[in-house]
Amino acid sequence: MGLLYKIADPSEALIISGWRAHHGPEGDAAGLGFKIIVGKGAFVVPGFQKARRLSLDIHETELPLQCVTKQGIPVGVKAVVIYKIADNPESIANAARRFLEQMEKMDSKVHNVFAGHLRSIIGSMTIEEMIRERDKLAQQTRESAAQEMQRLGLTIDSLQIQEIDDTTGYIENLGAPEAARVAKEARIAQAASDREAAEREAEATALKAAAVSASEIKQAEAAAASGRARAEAEQAGPLASATAKQKVVVQETEVAKLQAAQREQELEAEIRRPADAEAYKTRTEAEGKRDASIASAEAEAKKTRLLGEAEAAQTKAVGEADGEATRARGVAEADAIKARAEALATNSSEVVQQQVAAMLPELVEKAASAFGAIDQLVVLNGTEGVGDTLGQIIGTGLAAMPMLRQLLDEGGKQSPSGNGSTQPPRETFTARHE
Amino acid sequence: MSVVTGAIGFVTGRVAPGTIGEVSLSIHGGSETYYAYAADGTEVIETGARVAVVEYEPPRTVRVTRL
Repeated sequence: MGLLYKIADPSEALIISGWRAHHGPEGDAAGLGFKIIVGKGAFVVPGFQKARRLSLDIHETELPLQCVTKQGIPVGVKAVVIYKIADNPESIANAARRFLEQMEKMDSKVHNVFAGHLRSIIGSMTIEEMIRERDKLAQQTRESAAQEMQRLGLTIDSLQIQEIDDTTGYIENLGAPEAARVAKEARIAQAASDREAAEREAEATALKAAAVSASEIKQAEAAAASGRARAEAEQAGPLASATAKQKVVVQETEVAKLQAAQREQELEAEIRRPADAEAYKTRTEAEGKRDASIASAEAEAKKTRLLGEAEAAQTKAVGEADGEATRARGVAEADAIKARAEALATNSSEVVQQQVAAMLPELVEKAASAFGAIDQLVVLNGTEGVGDTLGQIIGTGLAAMPMLRQLLDEGGKQSPSGNGSTQPPRETFTARHE
Repeated sequence: MSVVTGAIGFVTGRVAPGTIGEVSLSIHGGSETYYAYAADGTEVIETGARVAVVEYEPPRTVRVTRL
């Protein structure tokens, strides 16, 4: 039976219990009933002492948890806690008394305890505190878990919340105002820059256009001035020559006027005056002639008229006389004829006609001789005048003439019938003189 | 005699009345964290302040005072 020498690792604690393995005076119930060796070695008497190793390694536990924050907002939290058995002898004693034989179950037991602690930790914090204030989280962890951790002999090296899952959108809405504000400012800045850029561009364009137009105006003015000067220079020559020509033409016109006047005068003297004189002479001659001829014609006419009148009167008188005589004779004879006709109404008309025919040449001769005395017949009022005149001439002495003529004609044509109807005298004389 | 008493450390979790703070002590060749209260019960010691352990309450609590 030899001694065993056991050596504790730095992350181990040797728990030696048994014969003379205690801290404190022997037999003291208040003392530690076993020996804790940390980082050293110790002899262990087999059979009389028992040595156990208590791991002081770090442990890690994940804590997924659905809980409610201080404001009552349900969150899904995923936390990680790193813990170990503390290194001071008191903690090791506490832990050894609890976990020495159940090292592998320590994790699950501690996990359950931690879950409860985490629930109370989150329930005492708002989401903003959880996200933003890590010190608060650590403080809450201490306040919540310190007593129990010390009883268990454990120490929490770190407790961190990995994820906070918010089903109500609280966390999103936490950031929404800020995100909106930032977006708004970005847009305002963008719009302001755009507007400024556009203003500058517009200014530049306007200035450019103004410069271009000013230069074009200047160019146009210069071109116009030079064009004007050139036109004046070009026109100066023709203008002068035209002026000179105009003067020449004016003078020539004057000359022509004078010449024309002169010619007119000449014309006046040579031709028109004589022509006028001629014309005047001729006109006067003609007038004289006309007057003379008119006068002569008038005289002639008058003479003729007078002559005719005289002759007519003469003839008329003669005729009248003859006519009277003839008429008397005729009337007598007509009466005679008429009586004879009446007496011979039933008699043969041929006898009457014979009688008339026998007397007719004489009557005709008388009528013709009256007309034969007229040399020239001037008809002064046309057909009617002729008729009137002849009517006058004949009517006085030869009233029966047409009647007799007609009788003769009818007798010649219609020998069997031979009626003694009288028809109105036709103006057969007028037809001849037409 | 515990090695914790009189140890020098600094606050890692604010020490204030009504809440449990935390200090990190240089002991055992390394650093260990202990739950901490103010020694006089009213002092407020913010994170990072140097403290000294006045009293040790096993297993894992100390009473500190500002250094």
